[in-house]
Amino acid sequence: MSFSPELISGLIAFLLTLFVLSYLIGDQILFRATINIFVGASAGYVATVAWHQVLAPNLVRPLLSGTSAEKMLAIIPLTLSLLLLAKAIPPLSKLGTPSVAFMVGTGAAVAIGGAVTGTIFPQVTATINLFDMAAANERGISSSVQFLEGGLMILGTISTLVYFQFTAKRGTDGTYRRNLFTKILSLIGGIFIAITFGVLLAGVYSAALTALIERLDFLISFAGSLWLP
Amino acid sequence: MSRYFAPAIAISTGLLVLLGYFLPLGSLAGLRVVIVHWAVVLSGAAVFVGVLNLLSVHVKKIRTKEKNNIYSLLLIASLLFTLVLGMISGSNSSIMSNIFNTIILPVEASLMAIMAVTLIYASIRLLRKRNDLMSIVFLSVAVLVMLGSAPLPFIQLPLFGDLIRPKIVNVFATSGARGILIGVALGTLLTGLRVLMGVDRPYGGK
Repeated sequence: MSFSPELISGLIAFLLTLFVLSYLIGDQILFRATINIFVGASAGYVATVAWHQVLAPNLVRPLLSGTSAEKMLAIIPLTLSLLLLAKAIPPLSKLGTPSVAFMVGTGAAVAIGGAVTGTIFPQVTATINLFDMAAANERGISSSVQFLEGGLMILGTISTLVYFQFTAKRGTDGTYRRNLFTKILSLIGGIFIAITFGVLLAGVYSAALTALIERLDFLISFAGSLWLP
Repeated sequence: MSRYFAPAIAISTGLLVLLGYFLPLGSLAGLRVVIVHWAVVLSGAAVFVGVLNLLSVHVKKIRTKEKNNIYSLLLIASLLFTLVLGMISGSNSSIMSNIFNTIILPVEASLMAIMAVTLIYASIRLLRKRNDLMSIVFLSVAVLVMLGSAPLPFIQLPLFGDLIRPKIVNVFATSGARGILIGVALGTLLTGLRVLMGVDRPYGGK
């Protein structure tokens, strides 16, 4: 048997798969060792991608071979990046605070823009469009069925939001005091949330089962290829 | 001075980016693009801060001869091995794709595969520890949806695939997910506004 690079690579993947699946018989040394190797390799991989895809083209290259305007523009992120790296050195970590503040401020603004234009407007518009009877009739759905489904979906959306209402006053025993209407809506919202997470669980379980079948197939076919010519 | 410096940076950059989003002025939009570009560069540098922190934590474990420090040694060795090879050969090289296909992909897929067993175990534990209406609805819906989507070997269940599953997914789960999404977006909006008003200062300013 010749040890080709493909065989060595396959053998490492085979052993790592076996070690991870060994978790099913208990958390032991082989599983822990594999997870630590995985964390190290993933961290190294992410750092490599960050360097070659982000820092080198957007910071290093403009500084080394860009125009004078590009060099001037790259000085600010360079300074902020150097200050941020000081966060990794405990005595100098305070120097990194302005860089973190810059990232937090920008991130907050991007998050607000994304939440408003990417979630709130589209989701509210989709909820309103549930009562577009003309569009439903064009799709061959009768107005009464569309009205019933739309009403049910509005009830689900609103009751889910009510379930997450944490502004109610607390009683002496520490429980939230809500009026009867809110309590009923909250209960309905809880059922809708349970249904949503049940559907998500079914999706995740299907994906996990597919991964298990794929890994078992890999183990069997690789072990078979070792013995068969 | 540093007490006001960090909040001033966070608030001013945040407001400039936000104004660039919502005001139709070319100069503000251009400024927003430049600031977001700098933030992307900074997030690249933040990855290195994280890696340095990970290294320092595990080097400390080895130096102080903590229990099970052999795992830290394995982590550092695999990190440095991947990092050095990646820096020399590039992130799109065949060496890096080999490392990805040999170590990262099999371990990730196997961890996902383990979930097929752990989810069943967790579901059984949920029914034993918290046997209430929500748990029963949660697990029953999961079973109904799986029965509606999985091809069964010898029998065909009527109504599951063409009526029950689509109604659960398209009406009930969609409306619940929509409520959760709007709630998350409202929470994000509120948290972002608190940061931009200087009420919350997660970067450490006083």
